[in-house]
Amino acid sequence: MALRMDGDRLHMEGECGVEEALDLLGHMAGLTPPEVDLRRCTHMHTALVQVLAACGTVPCVPPEDAFLARWLMPMFGARPGGP
Amino acid sequence: MNPLLATFVPEARDLLQAAASGLLRLERSTGDRALVNEVFRAVHTIKGSSGLFDAAALTRVVHAGEDLLDGVRAGRVGLTPEMVDLLLDSLDQAGRWIDSLEREGRLPGDADSVARRIAAGLRARMSADAAAPAADGTAEGAGDVAAWLHTLDASGRDAAAGGGALLSVRYAPDVGCFYRGEDPLNLFRQVPDLLALHVTSATAWPAADELDPYRCNLVFQALTAAPLADVEHMFRFVADQVEITALPAAPETGGGQMLQRIIAGQRRILGMPAGVEETRQRIAAAAGALGNLIHAAGLPGGASALATAVAEASRDASPAPLLALLDRFSQPAQADGLPEARQAPGGDVPAAPARPSGDAAGEARPAARVLKVDQSRIDQLMNLIGELVVSKNALPFLARRAEEVHGCREMAREIKEQYAVINRLAQEMQGAIMQVSMIPVSEVFDRFPRLVRDIARKLDKQVELVIDGGDAAADKAIIEALGDPLLHIVRNALDHGVESPSQRKQAGKPPHGTLRLAAHQDGDQVVIEVSDDGHGIDPARIRQSAIDKGVVDASQAARLSDQEAVNLIFHAGFSTASEISDLSGRGVGMDVVRTTADRLGGSVGVTSRPGEGTCVRLSLPLSMAVTHVMMVEVCGTLFGIPMDAVAETVRVPRDRIRKIRQAEAFVLRDAVVPLVRLADLLGMDAASPMDASGGNAAEAVLVVRVAGATAGLVVDRFREGNDVILKPLDGILAGLPGYAGTALLGDGRVLPVLNLKELM
Repeated sequence: MALRMDGDRLHMEGECGVEEALDLLGHMAGLTPPEVDLRRCTHMHTALVQVLAACGTVPCVPPEDAFLARWLMPMFGARPGGP
Repeated sequence: MNPLLATFVPEARDLLQAAASGLLRLERSTGDRALVNEVFRAVHTIKGSSGLFDAAALTRVVHAGEDLLDGVRAGRVGLTPEMVDLLLDSLDQAGRWIDSLEREGRLPGDADSVARRIAAGLRARMSADAAAPAADGTAEGAGDVAAWLHTLDASGRDAAAGGGALLSVRYAPDVGCFYRGEDPLNLFRQVPDLLALHVTSATAWPAADELDPYRCNLVFQALTAAPLADVEHMFRFVADQVEITALPAAPETGGGQMLQRIIAGQRRILGMPAGVEETRQRIAAAAGALGNLIHAAGLPGGASALATAVAEASRDASPAPLLALLDRFSQPAQADGLPEARQAPGGDVPAAPARPSGDAAGEARPAARVLKVDQSRIDQLMNLIGELVVSKNALPFLARRAEEVHGCREMAREIKEQYAVINRLAQEMQGAIMQVSMIPVSEVFDRFPRLVRDIARKLDKQVELVIDGGDAAADKAIIEALGDPLLHIVRNALDHGVESPSQRKQAGKPPHGTLRLAAHQDGDQVVIEVSDDGHGIDPARIRQSAIDKGVVDASQAARLSDQEAVNLIFHAGFSTASEISDLSGRGVGMDVVRTTADRLGGSVGVTSRPGEGTCVRLSLPLSMAVTHVMMVEVCGTLFGIPMDAVAETVRVPRDRIRKIRQAEAFVLRDAVVPLVRLADLLGMDAASPMDASGGNAAEAVLVVRVAGATAGLVVDRFREGNDVILKPLDGILAGLPGYAGTALLGDGRVLPVLNLKELM
């Protein structure tokens, strides 16, 4: 249950493993990509990072996980630590 | 030796062997996915465990091999015989390093450069075959560190400026890395003291619907204050895709502080929730880092504590023992060490390990059924049983004494009853111990596929090796002694037996020859046959060659039957090779075979049909531990004669003994059997046979079979058969010919056991 669609918002929660990559790409490559909420994401496999980056996603809620927030958010075009 | 290493060494050898034999089979059936996976897994496991030790070169080589195999597995690389050569060579090198790890606890000094060369060779195969996108990634972006530093955000620059030795890590993961279960981002999560991390795409992103999410297209650039050794260790599995550069900085950081930082980092890694496999890997990684740490900081008793903790942790797949150890290390400096760890992300320390440990226990238990026991312990058991057998043989003597000396018939009978029980138990015990030290013949057979392949390639011959009955078992000592003679036989077969493809075609045979290694049990012997379908042995050539070499003279040669001529190949100093090759034909080969077979109490024979092939047949006893001997009396002295030489015992009336010139003989079931008097053979001062037998009109004749010939051995008296533990003659008696050794009898007497082959 690492990916959860809630309306037009995709929640990535807990440990998001490599097996979610195709699923995530399915969501993100659609005509209207959902907003992505990373708040409760504790780790994201590199393959998922790549999908988000390639789709130019800017997560609407940054992760609480310090590592992800500090080092990944800049890649998604957001300022580290803040939305 | 470090207990971890002690487990690793035999395990790694098994895996190397498995990988090598898998590769050989793979060469024949390239498409076999299961086989590729098997080889890959073996190499992968070695790589994983090698990380636990100070053996970076070993890891590098097996890793390069693993990558190549991964390419094969994914179908990106086609496996060629040259590639197999290369892989086998690198496995050999790994084997040598493992030997050196076992002997000296470290790799030889040149290991790094050798590893680099081998790894480069393997990788060259890979990139030559596949369009290696990973390679140009590293080449093109050769880490312009300075430029990158300028792009760092403010905090990163502050950190960089803040003193302390800094490392820049540039990691361009291989495109296929996700398939190997790698998660580059997770690696960086584990880097202690990460000061900056910058993730970019290696090439421009394709449109979202064309993106392959499983091809890694990211490049990581990071800055860390962690020690070089730690970082290198952390990235050791991807060492070829990582560039680590030290940045000049003011030396400042105190050792204690660094220690605490590393401990905190390791604690963070171990505390993160993970699956069983991942936990194991983390334990391995942490073990390496902590090992270095303990070494560097000189923590008292640290190494052994670590070994125990690692062993426990990997057994349970739970990081708990390591975490406990970390607590111990960080105690003196708790104030600054622990709080950081407590805040660590995902630091649900006590809860996380509990889950994997439960899973692992369930999975791991049924596997632990095999016990690896040191050979010397088995030998010790064997010796003890031997002593027991000898002591139990004292009981019948005791019974006789009870009856004859003390006149206690009743007592004598009871002793005999007890003897029967102890005898049965001792025999069962002996059998059980012998089972323990029995190993299958396949242990020696397994090295031949590789050998045959290499030799055949060297000789430009095509040979298919067929192995039959590798599960026939025999005593470990026998199997181990078998290696060399078999090697000589096989080399001879390949060198002299099997013809070159063109010769074979002319002879109307298929171009590839067949070499067959077969083993089966025959009574208490294990029989090993090596047969080829080559041109066979030409008796005429053997005769000529034997004359030339002075082994026999012309008239002797003419008298030899074809079979006898063929048997000449076992003569010392005999070789038919017209020109001495690297492989065989040094005139020692087959001689060694015969000597070894003799020494082991076995025999060797060869049969050959010109044009059709040769078969060498080795018969060896299943076990050397206990020898059945027949006891005989000559001139009042007891001698033992190995039971396997004894065909039967007969009493021959004196008038039936014919004198043929000097020699005596008698007729046994229409065959003339030459008679030999044991007393003469032993140079004993026999009284006139007539007197010795006390007017008896018959001679006691032991019919023995020695080296394929039958002979009658005249003795004074037959005694019972006996099981003895044969001790070879040693010390100044070692060179004494004619004796196989001595054994201790139940009444304390020493029984010399004869070696009839040498005697007659």
